[in-house]
Amino acid sequence: MFFAQLKNELWKLFGKKRTYIGFIMLLLAENGVSFALYKTHFSLQKRLLENNGYALDAYASALTAAFIVLAPIAPLLLPLYVALIGGDLVAKEAEDGTLRMMLCRPVSRVRLLVVKWCAGAVFSIVLVIALGILGILCARIWFPWGGMFVLEPEDHVFSVFTASEGFYRYSLATIFMLAEAFSIMGVAFMFSCFNVKPAAATVLALSLLLMDFICFHIPYFQDYQPWFFTYHTRVWVCMFWEHIPWWRVGSSLIVLAGLNLTFLVIGCAAFQVRDIKS
Amino acid sequence: MIELRHVIKKFASRTAVNDLSLTVSRGEIFGLLGHNGAGKSTAIGMMLGQVWPTSGTVNICGHDVTSQRALALKKVGAIFEAPAFYDYLSGWRNLEILSHYTAPTSKARIQEVVDWVGLTGREQSKVRTYSHGMRARLALAQTLLPQPELLILDEPGGGLDPEGIAEMRQTILRLHRELGLTILLSSHLLTEMEQLCTRIAVLNQGRKVFEGPISEVKASRRRVALQTPDFAAATTLLNERGMILGSERGQFISLKEDVTTADVSRVLVTAGIALEGIWLHEETLEDFYLNLVKPPLLPTNKN
Repeated sequence: MFFAQLKNELWKLFGKKRTYIGFIMLLLAENGVSFALYKTHFSLQKRLLENNGYALDAYASALTAAFIVLAPIAPLLLPLYVALIGGDLVAKEAEDGTLRMMLCRPVSRVRLLVVKWCAGAVFSIVLVIALGILGILCARIWFPWGGMFVLEPEDHVFSVFTASEGFYRYSLATIFMLAEAFSIMGVAFMFSCFNVKPAAATVLALSLLLMDFICFHIPYFQDYQPWFFTYHTRVWVCMFWEHIPWWRVGSSLIVLAGLNLTFLVIGCAAFQVRDIKS
Repeated sequence: MIELRHVIKKFASRTAVNDLSLTVSRGEIFGLLGHNGAGKSTAIGMMLGQVWPTSGTVNICGHDVTSQRALALKKVGAIFEAPAFYDYLSGWRNLEILSHYTAPTSKARIQEVVDWVGLTGREQSKVRTYSHGMRARLALAQTLLPQPELLILDEPGGGLDPEGIAEMRQTILRLHRELGLTILLSSHLLTEMEQLCTRIAVLNQGRKVFEGPISEVKASRRRVALQTPDFAAATTLLNERGMILGSERGQFISLKEDVTTADVSRVLVTAGIALEGIWLHEETLEDFYLNLVKPPLLPTNKN
């Protein structure tokens, strides 16, 4: 029954046109940035590589471009689209009146929420995989296959990989980006369980994330960075360290899992005591 | 099938339902009457486990809705005013989605219900292309899928044209007759309630002010239409003689139990009050309802 219910939730989710906004915008953004990189010939990267004794020709590749595209999209655009869907999952149905139709059924409220959360998680998986695949495909249109050069000053990352190693790291990063997507969807989902409009749930979630993101980047809080949500959602960047810090990855995943569970419990508790009225 | 005991529901300082006790037996068509904001929808929400009672107990099919929601609603179907669906999906897909929250439902069962409500041929169309009447049929279909024993219908005629309302009335009677369902019906359409229900309860400002069979409503008062040029003088005289309980709208009087229309005619003619006509007027549910929720126009003589 659980899988039948999940399948139906996915029908509902992927039957809506707004679900595809994220995919379309990611495609446009990734293609746009790749094209811009092609036109500027990696001018910034060229200087850095040459100063460190590498030749640009070996690393001006689809993988390098894909990372450059991924770096701003993951913390800025990805949260927007998963928060949009997470915020809709319960609040939109309550607003439309379909939630009331569902709650005439002998299904527990917690069960309903768990099914909906899983549907949100499936959406997050599909969006992140699309982000990864589209990123590399768009970059491949403009750049040849070759070694990968990664520069991420914020995380002190300066790495060069062969094409096969780079592709492996890029794939790993895409997989670990799921932790970010799940967590942000979870925050929006939690707000969606309260008696609020869907847009309010999305805005609340994004506001919380942006506040965390801003504080995380204020130098005054540098010593407290592991206490910030952003620190843990950036776990995918660790995949581009020369030696992947699995201890940090593990601890971040545990923190995110705990937070996700907490968000779900708060959402369930709020939804459980709510009166559902027309 | 439905049993509410001393149910109270408060929203902040406002009491939406106040000490409501109600019993609906198996096989009944029970009507819930009341003005907007009387507490009907809140009461129905509590029966469906969507609104939590502040105090009191709500039992559906022998199970407490608050603590055993899944068991209580297993054999219950419900329709609301302006039922909401996933408009971007087909009627069939909507039925699949809603049915899977009750129990696994076969395609054959869905087709059977689609045929029963008369949606055959349109079940694969998107719901956004449906008319009001078709949406009402789809709403009915989704309630019938789990083979319910109890139907809770909250303003099922809302938004329908007269033809649609008549169709809905026939369908409710068919459901009762062919499937033997117990039905709780909440509606503003008093004539519908009168034609459909075996018993009714009237809510006024969250309180139950009447519960009983429709036959009791009709027999509750003996109303007489009195046609006279001087209605005020006539009612004053009849009041003085202690023959009537009250008068309304310059046209009707309510006779005391042992008084006949012949007695009234004799008294008025003897007193020299012209009498153009007098006849027994069977009280409609509307008359009864308005009398319950509104004060009479003229006070009854205490003598």
